[in-house]
Amino acid sequence: MNGWLAAACALLLVGFLPTLLAMCTGSVRRRVLAQNLATVLAALALLLLSQGWARSSYTDMALVLAVLGPVGTLIYERLLGEELRADRPSRRVTRTMTVLSVAPVPVVVVPVCVAATPGRTTLKLLFIAGLLVAGSALCTRALTTPPGGDGSHG
Amino acid sequence: MADDLPIVLALLLVTVAGTATVLTRDPVRQVFALAGLGLALALLFAVLQAPDVALSQLAVGTALTPLMVLLSVRKVRRKARSERREEHE
Repeated sequence: MNGWLAAACALLLVGFLPTLLAMCTGSVRRRVLAQNLATVLAALALLLLSQGWARSSYTDMALVLAVLGPVGTLIYERLLGEELRADRPSRRVTRTMTVLSVAPVPVVVVPVCVAATPGRTTLKLLFIAGLLVAGSALCTRALTTPPGGDGSHG
Repeated sequence: MADDLPIVLALLLVTVAGTATVLTRDPVRQVFALAGLGLALALLFAVLQAPDVALSQLAVGTALTPLMVLLSVRKVRRKARSERREEHE
């Protein structure tokens, strides 16, 4: 067991498990936000695992998850619109969730990039990181701004 | 033992998510527990060195299953609402 696998285990235990519990309890709004965060954390755990086993092709899983995670969150936003609109999160919750879902991405991706052999793998990792950041930012925004545009800011 | 730690952790995650899915009664809330179970299963398959299975589990678990469950819930609710309206008239 090397450091990457240990880091992946720590991420699963400290990050993913509480998010999973948040997905299984509480209001619909809380569950959607937790779902968004859980996909980001799972993708990062997959990146760490692939680096731990030194198989760069395993990053495909993280790439697929980075594409499908935001798609899933937007499906919830579209189909549960009524419930979510009745219960918009406060500005503080939004900011916390954005920071929580964006901050771990560079913390994980930069060391993996440094350790990986430079070339296509690095590009792929950076692409995954970009997708994760853009996807989670887009989803948090979609979940917190009213679609009618009657919020204080757009 | 230390080498098995990721597998034990993934199994723990699957257990937690599966139990939560069974214990949730409201279908809308259950969708999220189900999505969590999908993610945990994908992690378990990845840890067991089956990336192809994990890929298909990710595709099915994160987007397709929630979409189908939510679409059916929506349809059932709409039907119930229109029936109630007809009763009132």
